Amino acid sequence: MELIGHGGKPLVERVITDKAEAKNKIKGLKAIPASRQMATESIGIALGFFSPLQGFMKRADVDAVVQKMELADGTLWSIPIVYDISDKEIHDYGIKAGMSVLLTRNGNPMAIFEIEEIFTYPKEEIAFKVYGTKEEKHPGVARTYAYKDKFLGGKITLVQSPKVREPYTPYFLTPRQHREKFKNLHWQRIVAHQTRNVPHSGHEWLMKHAFIAAHGELPVESMEVMGKAISGVLVNCIVGEKRAGDYIDEAIVLSQDGLKKYGYFREDIHMTTMTFWDMRYAGPKEAVHHSIIRANLGLTHHMFGRDHAGVGTYYDSYEAHRLLMSIPKEKLFITPIFVLEWAYCPHCGEVTCIGLCGHWNELQKFSGTKIRSILMDEVKPTRMIFRPEVFDIVMDAAKKYGFGSPFVTPEYLAEAAPAFSFEPL
Amino acid sequence: MAETFPINIWINEERFKALQEAGLGGLLKEELAGMKVLIVPCNEAQRDKVLKLFPMAKYDAATTKSIELLPKYVKDKLYEMAVKRKTLNMMDEFVAGFAKAGDAFWNQDIA
Repeated sequence: MELIGHGGKPLVERVITDKAEAKNKIKGLKAIPASRQMATESIGIALGFFSPLQGFMKRADVDAVVQKMELADGTLWSIPIVYDISDKEIHDYGIKAGMSVLLTRNGNPMAIFEIEEIFTYPKEEIAFKVYGTKEEKHPGVARTYAYKDKFLGGKITLVQSPKVREPYTPYFLTPRQHREKFKNLHWQRIVAHQTRNVPHSGHEWLMKHAFIAAHGELPVESMEVMGKAISGVLVNCIVGEKRAGDYIDEAIVLSQDGLKKYGYFREDIHMTTMTFWDMRYAGPKEAVHHSIIRANLGLTHHMFGRDHAGVGTYYDSYEAHRLLMSIPKEKLFITPIFVLEWAYCPHCGEVTCIGLCGHWNELQKFSGTKIRSILMDEVKPTRMIFRPEVFDIVMDAAKKYGFGSPFVTPEYLAEAAPAFSFEPL
Repeated sequence: MAETFPINIWINEERFKALQEAGLGGLLKEELAGMKVLIVPCNEAQRDKVLKLFPMAKYDAATTKSIELLPKYVKDKLYEMAVKRKTLNMMDEFVAGFAKAGDAFWNQDIA
């Protein structure tokens, strides 16, 4: 059955699942090793996370994205998806427009790349228009400046599905698989919680807030019975390039799922999955990109809090909200849910929304830095701010996957196995 | 009053008792729904030395206004020193101790 993704276009699925067919199709193709980022984005394209993109962008698309925040055909799009390559590689591999090559990852076949165009685009222009700055200390700008001499545009077809390692295996679903799960759960409305954090109670309440807002005017009667929910929360963790000091992805995914496992959310309204993507920290533009990915997963709503996907002081706290509000409904394909911060109020003795509580001067806000500090000290937080089972999951993940730390360390960066790989055909 | 650049040491129940016995219980503050924290003050010079000695640490000027991301073993030593000395004004001794002994400092007993 044809599924519809972002832009009202058919969901892209470009994977050869038959091994013999894949072997036959790659015969004689020149093999080119793909970087981790290019492999990550090849997966995003071919499995449909980036629908309607069928491949890496050509110049017309890049230009339209940079100048107008849309693809050349007018579909809303905020961040260029480009394949970079050096002049030397183009020369050494004899790459020309019109040829197909085999992209490999760690020596194994990954994807057929039908190269339609070789082009350049001013990196400073991308930086300024997408990130709002040309400063290299912005991680998205640094990534842009690090792109090699040229870009290759053209269609991508995976020649096999990626193999996702433990503990991620049950959490990695394609957009089609997401939709099948939602259908089986009878969810009519599904709200996305974008995260790269382990959940404290502030996050938990944001999700509850978003769930209630997304469920809206739908009936509640059936929900008196476990298993009869008609709306759900999807925690979609971003798994990608890490920096020292980030939470390790294993701790993020497992602890988010822990909220359901230990009953803080009913099992029929909560699900945790993951998407491979290297955060660009593009603030409002990244918020649009996240809305595109989640529309492709089949979600109806997306939660956006303050400082969504921002970094430093480059963006106002609610700049992402304002950009999303400026986009016509017919272009966004998902309904944004804007949420205010939740904080602990000692007067109320509970976690509450800062937009509701009158004890304004007493509120104790959840600081990500403070929570990290508490976890680094290995002190079990009070259950009001961090669920004890979630703390245990984070610490177990630290031992099992993080070389003793729930945070990314140089050792983790050097030795942790990649989240996905490809096998010999 | 001079600006301080504190280090937050989060305290569990076991340490809470030890701090009370050391007469330092009153120095603890409560944050985030009753979490107990020992706030070790640093002046600007001490902050700069700490950040130099422990490059993984950062001064969070934006939100917490404190020195963050110090590894647990560093904070354990700070805690141990505070209890032994029965004071929080021990940053000069701490910095000098580590600067002199290097990593051997972590295994040294506080006299």
